[in-house]
Amino acid sequence: MSDETASASPGVGEQFASVARSVYGRWAAVRDSELTVAVLTFLGVLLAPYVLVELPTQLGLPTEYIWYNSLITLTVVWAIFAIGYDLLLGFTGLLSFGHAMFWGTAAYAAGIFSAEVSGSPIAMLVVGTLTAVVVAWVIGWISLRRGGIYFAILTLAFGQMTYYIFLSPMSNITGGENGFNDVDLGLLFGIIDLGDPVPLIPDAFVASWMYAFAGVALVGAVVFGYRILNSPYGVVLRAIRENEQRAEFVGLNVWRYKLMSFILSGAFAGVAGSIYVIQREYVPIDNALRWTVSGDIVVITVLGGAGSLFGSLFGAGLYMYVANIVSGFPNIGTFWHMILGIVFVAVIVLLPNGIWGGITYARGLVVRSPEIVRNAPATTRRFVETFPDRARAWLDSLRRRIPGMGGGDDR
Amino acid sequence: MTALLETDDLVKKFGGLLATDHVNLEIQEGELLSLIGPNGAGKSTLINLITRMLEETEGDIRFQGESIVDLEPHEVVQRGIGKSFQTASIFPDLSVEENANIASFGAEHGSFRFNFFRHRNAYPAVEERTHQVLEAVELLDQRETTASELPYGDKRRLELGIALASEPSLLLMDEPTAGMSPEETEATVDLVEELQADLDLTIMLVEHDMEVVFRVSDRIAVLNRGSIIAEGTPEEVQGDEAVQEAYLGGVEL
Repeated sequence: MSDETASASPGVGEQFASVARSVYGRWAAVRDSELTVAVLTFLGVLLAPYVLVELPTQLGLPTEYIWYNSLITLTVVWAIFAIGYDLLLGFTGLLSFGHAMFWGTAAYAAGIFSAEVSGSPIAMLVVGTLTAVVVAWVIGWISLRRGGIYFAILTLAFGQMTYYIFLSPMSNITGGENGFNDVDLGLLFGIIDLGDPVPLIPDAFVASWMYAFAGVALVGAVVFGYRILNSPYGVVLRAIRENEQRAEFVGLNVWRYKLMSFILSGAFAGVAGSIYVIQREYVPIDNALRWTVSGDIVVITVLGGAGSLFGSLFGAGLYMYVANIVSGFPNIGTFWHMILGIVFVAVIVLLPNGIWGGITYARGLVVRSPEIVRNAPATTRRFVETFPDRARAWLDSLRRRIPGMGGGDDR
Repeated sequence: MTALLETDDLVKKFGGLLATDHVNLEIQEGELLSLIGPNGAGKSTLINLITRMLEETEGDIRFQGESIVDLEPHEVVQRGIGKSFQTASIFPDLSVEENANIASFGAEHGSFRFNFFRHRNAYPAVEERTHQVLEAVELLDQRETTASELPYGDKRRLELGIALASEPSLLLMDEPTAGMSPEETEATVDLVEELQADLDLTIMLVEHDMEVVFRVSDRIAVLNRGSIIAEGTPEEVQGDEAVQEAYLGGVEL
C-alpha cells in the first residue's frame, strides 16, 4: 500500500507501522473474541439493574419514569428470544410471522410439566425448549417449502392455528382464555427459591435468583449465538440470505440449512418462553400464543438491528420500556402504541441498521483506528525523522517487552 | 469413449410450448462445446434441465454414465457440474474472501454439515482452497473488499472462482461475456482458455458473441425452436445452410 516510507527512512518507519498494526490486530482480536463477548454481556447483566433502577432512584427521579427489577428480567427473556429470531431474520433472511408458536408452546409445555411432573426450573427449561424444537422442526419442514411472503403467511397461519387449538379444543388442559394457572414452580437444584435474594451480591446488581437464572441464560444465549455466527454454519446462513440460488450452486443443501436455522431460532424462543413462565408462574395465552407476540419479536429485532446479534438486547430494552413504563406515563400513557410506532419509524429512518447499527456508526466516528493504522507509515515517518535515536530505543524496548511483536507478522 | 454428459431424447414442455424437443447432446471429456441459437431456441432451458432447476417432461440426462434426473441442484454440483450464471451471481454484501470461503465449504464439507460449534477459521483445508481459488482468478489482493464494490469484470471473475472452487469436471457457462466491455470480454476469453488448459475442464458455453464462440469452441451445437439443427466444428457449422437460415433469415454470410 503506502510504501513510500520505506525508501525515505529505511526500515524504522515500516517497523513502527507494523508494531501499530499488530497492536491494533491484537486489540481487534481481543474485542472480537468469544470470551470478551461473554464478559461484556455478563457485566451488562450485572450493571443493568444498578444503572436502570438503583442510580435513577438515588438521583431522585420520579418512580413512574424508571425501570423496575422484574421488567429487567422480562427484557432479558425477550432478548434471548430476539437473538434466536435474529438468527433467522437477520442472518438467514427469513421473515417468520409465527414465532409466538415456539415461545408459546414452550411456555405451556414448561407450565404443564411443572404442574404434572416436576417444578424444577431446569427440567421446565429443558422440556419447554425440546417442545419448541419439535414444533419448529415440523412447522419448518412444511413452511420452508415456500419462500418469501408465502413463508411468512404460512408461519402466521400455523401460529394462528396453534393459538386457536390451545384456546378452545385443548382448553381443559391449557385453561383456555384464562391461561394456565396451575404452574407449580419448585426449587432450583432442589435448594434455591428463585424469589430469594442472592447471598453476597448486593440487591442493586442482582435482585433475586430469578434474575441470576435469566441472566446466565442470556450470557449463554449470546455466546451460543456468537459461536454459531462465527462457525462455517453462520457463513453459510449469510450466503443464503445474500443469494440463495448461488448457495445452492456451490453445492450446499439450502433447504436443510434453512430448516436447521429455523429450528435453532425455535430453540432460542423455547428457552425464552420457558423462562418467561418460570418468572411469571402463569401462562397468559395472549402473551404466549397470540399473533401479537410474533409481531413484537419482529419489531424488537428490527429496532435492535437485524443481523447484529447484540442489537437484540437494546431492541428488547427499548420495547419493554415503552410498553411497560411509557404506557404508565400520565396523560400520554394510553397512547403508548402510537409512541412505539413513532419510535419505530424514527429508528428505521434515522438508523436503517437499528440501534446496534447506530452504535457501530458512533464507535466508528470516535475510534478511527483502522484509518490511523493505515496511515501509520506516514505518521511514524515524521516522528522517526525528527527523533531517530529515541525511535530506535523505543522500538527495541517494545520488542523486548512484547515477544513476537513488530517486524513481519502484521495481520 | 463414453461421453462426460449426454442427454437422451430430452423433452421439456411449458404448457403447449415445446422448449426442447428430443434433444440428444453429447459432451466429450476435455472439449469446449458451445451452444448457440436465436432467442427462445431453448439454450437456457437445456442448461436448467442439466442443473436440475427444471424438471424434464421426458428423457434422461447422464453424467459420467449415471442418470442425474432424480437429483437436486446441489447434488448435481456435488457430482461435479459447476455453473456460472448470466449475471454475476455472487454474495454481494460479503467480502471477496468470504465469497470464496463459502464455495470452499461447499466443496470440502459436502451438501450439509451441522458444524455450528467450531470457528470457521479452524478448517485449514478450506482456507487453503479459498486461497487457491482467489489466486486462480487473480483476486487475492482484493480479498477484503466487499464483493458488491468490485468492478463488473472482477465480479464475473469472482463468480467464476466460486463456480470453480468445487473443481467441477463440467462447467456450464451462461453468457460469460454478457454486459462486458471489449477489453473485459478479451480478458474473460483468455481466462476461460487458460482455465480449460490448466484445470483440464470440460466446458459447455452459451454465448451470443459469435466472435468468441468461433474462437474458443472445439465443437458447436446450434439450437432452434428446441431442436438441434446442426452440430460440428466451427468450420462445419459456419458453412451449414440450416444454420444460416435459422440465424440470419437466409442472408449469406
